[in-house]
Amino acid sequence: MKIKGVEPNINSETNQTKGMIDPVTLMKIKSMELRAKVIVEGFWKGIHRSPYHGFSVEFTEYRQYTPGDDPRHIDWHLYARSDRFYIKKFEDETNLRCHILVDHSKSMGYGSVGYSKAQYAGTLAATLAYFLFTQGDAVGLATFDSQIRQYMPPRNRPGYLHRIMLALETAPQGSSTDLSPPLKRIAEILNRRGLIILMSDLLTSIEKLEMDLGYLRANGHDVVLFNVLDPHELNFDFNTPAIFEDIETGKTFYVDPPAAQQDYAGKLQNHMASVKTICRNLGIDYHLFAINRPFDLALLEFLHDRMRRRKQIRHPGGSSVRSAV
Amino acid sequence: MNFLYPFFLAGIVVIGLPILLHMIRRHTRKRITFSSLMFLRTTIPRFRNRSRPENLFLLILRCLIICLLAIAFARPFLEKPAKETAASIGKRVVLLIDTSASMKREDLWKQASEQALSVINNLKPTDRLCVINFDKNAQTIAGFEMWNELEPEQRVSVIKEEISKLSPTWSATNMGNALITAAEAIEDDEINDKMLINERQIILISDLQQGSNLDALNTYEWPEKTELIIKPVAAKKTTNAAMQIIASSNYLTQSDPNKLLRVRITNSADAVTEQFQLSWADNKPANASAKPVSVYVPPGQGIVAELPPGPNEITGCKLILTGDGQDYDNTLYLAPNLEQQINILYLGNDNIEDSKQMLFYIKRAFQKTGTLNFNITSLSTDAVLTEKNIKDSQFIIITDTLKSGQIKLLRQNMESGNTILLAMKSQEAGAVIAELAGLSRLDCKEASVNDYTMLGAIEFEHPILKPFSDPRFGDFSKIHFWKYRKISLDNAPQARVLARFDNDDPALIELPIEQGSLLVLTSTWQPSDSQLALSSKFVPLLYSILEYNGVLGNQQSQYFVGDTIQIPQKIISGTEKVQIRKPDGSVINMETRQEVFEQIDQPGFYTVESSAGNQLFAVNLPVQECRTSPLPIEDIERFGVAFTDAQENRTEQTGKVKAHQNFVEMEYQQKYWRWLFIALFVLLLAEIWLGGWLTRPSVLTQGEEK
Repeated sequence: MKIKGVEPNINSETNQTKGMIDPVTLMKIKSMELRAKVIVEGFWKGIHRSPYHGFSVEFTEYRQYTPGDDPRHIDWHLYARSDRFYIKKFEDETNLRCHILVDHSKSMGYGSVGYSKAQYAGTLAATLAYFLFTQGDAVGLATFDSQIRQYMPPRNRPGYLHRIMLALETAPQGSSTDLSPPLKRIAEILNRRGLIILMSDLLTSIEKLEMDLGYLRANGHDVVLFNVLDPHELNFDFNTPAIFEDIETGKTFYVDPPAAQQDYAGKLQNHMASVKTICRNLGIDYHLFAINRPFDLALLEFLHDRMRRRKQIRHPGGSSVRSAV
Repeated sequence: MNFLYPFFLAGIVVIGLPILLHMIRRHTRKRITFSSLMFLRTTIPRFRNRSRPENLFLLILRCLIICLLAIAFARPFLEKPAKETAASIGKRVVLLIDTSASMKREDLWKQASEQALSVINNLKPTDRLCVINFDKNAQTIAGFEMWNELEPEQRVSVIKEEISKLSPTWSATNMGNALITAAEAIEDDEINDKMLINERQIILISDLQQGSNLDALNTYEWPEKTELIIKPVAAKKTTNAAMQIIASSNYLTQSDPNKLLRVRITNSADAVTEQFQLSWADNKPANASAKPVSVYVPPGQGIVAELPPGPNEITGCKLILTGDGQDYDNTLYLAPNLEQQINILYLGNDNIEDSKQMLFYIKRAFQKTGTLNFNITSLSTDAVLTEKNIKDSQFIIITDTLKSGQIKLLRQNMESGNTILLAMKSQEAGAVIAELAGLSRLDCKEASVNDYTMLGAIEFEHPILKPFSDPRFGDFSKIHFWKYRKISLDNAPQARVLARFDNDDPALIELPIEQGSLLVLTSTWQPSDSQLALSSKFVPLLYSILEYNGVLGNQQSQYFVGDTIQIPQKIISGTEKVQIRKPDGSVINMETRQEVFEQIDQPGFYTVESSAGNQLFAVNLPVQECRTSPLPIEDIERFGVAFTDAQENRTEQTGKVKAHQNFVEMEYQQKYWRWLFIALFVLLLAEIWLGGWLTRPSVLTQGEEK
C-alpha cells in the first residue's frame, strides 16, 4: 500500500538516481569522513556543467556613503568616475556560519535497510559539512535528543572537520525526542546569524515546533529542515501481526499491520502536512529523506533549493541576507 | 455408559473455545521494535478469513482434552445388573446387647429382646451382622464369620435362637469396652472380607444407665465411618437407691461389738421417692436396737447411714433396703472377715519383758489385728524342741546357738519349704549357720566397727526388700549398727547377700536350703547392736519375711460380681478336695491347689468348703451398676462417636436416593475416571509438544526483533 503524498515524491527520483551512488554500498564505508569525501567529490564530477557552480565573492549593491561608514569600503574607482562616495557591498560569503543539528534520540537508531536513520543523517551531515568546509565556511555541530548532548561551535580550522566527523560517528544514546528544549537552547547560544540545518525524524509532538523554529527565524537564521525517515516508517509495509515495541518508551501493543496501515498512513500524512505547513509559514526549507535515497541526490536537491531560494530572495526584495549556497 | 454427575458434561461446550482460538488471528509472540508508536493503535485480533482452521491435529487434540476432562469429572460408569450391585451395597451391623445387672429391672430385658429381634428382622439380605452381648466383658455370640458360614435363609433363625439364650447377668457394665469391641469387629471384618461394604453400623440396645463405664473410649479413636445407633430401653419406675459399705469391711471382727456399721445410701437423680428403710434380713438381731432404720435421701444425692451391727454369725448377714422402685440391688451381703492365726516360734534365751533384748521387740512387732492373730512362743535353747513345736509354727526366729538335734529338726523344716530367720547375737552363731545350711565351715568373727556402720548396698529386687524399693521407703541410712558379725561366704557360694554394710560386709544373707531358705542377719535388733528395732523399717521387714514365707494369706471376704476370689492358703494346702457352694446352691469342685476362683457371676454368699473348714465370702453387686439414671447421649458423643438418631435411621429412603447410592457404589468400583485422567495426561503432553513444535521460532525478517 502506498502512502499518498509521500511515495510519489520519492518515486519521482527513480530516474535521477541513475548513476548515483547506492547508499547501502556507501554506508559500508566505515569512515564517515571518507564517506563524505566520496559523496562530495562524486557530486562535483556529476554537476560540473551546472550553472550553479563556481560561487565566489559577489557584488550585491552600492550605497551612498554616509558619515560613520567604514571608509575602507568606499569604492574609489567609482569615486574617480563619479566623484561620489559609494560604499560597495558584497555578499558575506566567507563569514557563513553553518550549524548542523542532528537528532540523536533513540528513534533515530531505527533502520530497516541495513543502517539506521542516525547513520544516514550523520553521513548526510558529514557530506554537507565536508562540502561547506571545502568552501571555506565555518561549520558547527550539535547533537540532541531531549536536550543538547554535544555542541561544537562553527569553525573553519584544519582538523576541525575531522572532529566533526568523529562526533557524527557516535551512535545515538539519547532517549525520547523533544525538539523544543534543544531548539530553544540553540536560539539562545547563537548570537550571529547563520545557516541552521536541522536533521530529525520529527517523530514527536510538533505542537511547539512552529514556535521554536520561529525563534530561530526571528534571530535571522536561515533554517533548513531535513526530515529523515525509514521506508518502513513511510509505508508501514509489515505483513504479519506482531507485538510492536516503541524504541523510545518501551511501550508495547499488538498490531495487525494490514488492519492498522490505513490509519497509520493517514496519521503520518497529517503529521507531515503539519510540518510542511509550519515550514512554509516560517520560510524554512523542508526536505524529506527516505534513508534509502542516494546522498548526492539529497545534496543536489538541497543545493537546488538553496539556489532557488536565493533567487527568490534577491529578485523581489533586493537587499537580503546573502547566502554562500 | 452412565454418568454420576452428568452436569459436568456441560463442560464439553467449552470445546468451542479452542476452535474459536484457532479461527482467531492469534496474538503473536513475535516482537517488532519500531521507532515510534505515535501513529499506531492496538488492533483487536480478527477472525481469519479462512473457513478451515490451521493446525487441525492440534485443534483435535485440544478438543479431545476438553472432552476427556468433562467426561472424567462427570464420573462415568457402566451400569451392571441390579443383582450384582445390590450385593455390594449392604452394611456391616454389630448388634450390641446390654446384659448387665441393671437390665434386670422391670421388663427391660423383654424390651431389649424385642428391639434386637426387630433389628434382625429389618436386615437386608446383603447386610452382615455380628451380635455381641456385654456386661463387664463383651462376648460375641454370633460373629461375622458365623454369618458367613450360615446359609442365608438360616441366619436370622439361628441368631434369634442365640439371642433368646441370653439373659441379664449380675455383672457391671463396661459400655466403652463393648463399643470398642464392636468397632474393631467391623474393622476386622473389613480386612478379612473383601466385599465392598462402606456402611458401618453399631446398634446399641441398652438402658444407658449412668454407671455404664465409658472410660475405655478415652484412649480410643472412633473410626470415622462407623455410626452408632442407640435403641434405648427404659424402666417405668425411675427411683433406685443403692447401698455401699464405706466403713471398714471387717467390722464383724472388730473388738467393739457395738460399733456402728456405716453404709452409704445413694438415690438416683430421677427418683421420685426420698424415704427408704434399712433392715437386716435375719429375724435374730444381735441386740434390740437392730430395728429398721429410716433414711432420707434426696434425688441425686447420697447420705451415710449408721446402723447397729447385724447378727454376728458365721453364715453372714444381709442388709435389705426397701422403698425404691428396683429390687435387683436392694440386698447387701456381709460376710465375717477371715481371721488368720499365725504361730511364731522364737528360739532364744531372751526375756520377753526386757527391752534390751530382741524378743521384747518381736512381741511388739506382731500385734493382733482385725484379721491376724499372732501367737508368739518363746523357747530357750536349753528346752526340748519337738517336731510338733516346729510344725505348729508358721515362722521361726533363731537368736541363740542351738544344739545339733534342734538344728536337724529346723533343717528339715526348711527343706520342706519354710524360711527361718536367724539373728547373729555372737560369732558362735556361725557354727549354727554352717550346720543349718549344711556347710563344712563358716568363718565368722566379731567385726570391728569404728563408731557405727550403716546398710549400704541393698538388693531391692528380692521379694523381701521389694516393698522398700520405692525411693520414699528405701532410706535405711537412719539405722545405725554398732556391732555385727563378719561372715566369710567363701564356703557358701549359693548364698545370696540381700544387704551389705557400707564397708561391703554382708548384713542380710539368704542361704537356700532345698525348698526353703535360711535368712541370716549378721547383727541383731537389740539396742546394744543396732537401731533396727526402733526404726520404721523393722515391722515392715518382718511382715515382708512372713509374706515371703507364705504365712500371710488372703484377708478379704467382701467381693463384687466379676471379681476373683483368692482361696486362703490354709484351705488349699490343708486338703486336697475343695469345693465352692454358690448362692444358688450349685457346687463347683476346685482343682487341686487352685488358688483363685473366677466364676463369681451372682451376688450372695459363696462358701469354700474343705476338710480344713469352711470359709464364707460375700459378693455384692458393683456399685456403679446401681446408678440407673439415664446417661446423657452427649457423654458418648464427646468421645467422637458418630451418632445417628434411631428415628432418623428408621425413615425409609426414597427410591431416587437408593438408586443414586447404587450408582455411587458402581462408580466407586469401576473408577473409569482414573483411566480418563491418564489419557488426559498423555494428550496434554502431546499437545504441549505439538504446540511447541508448531510455534518454534522462525527466521527473523529484516527490521524485526525477537
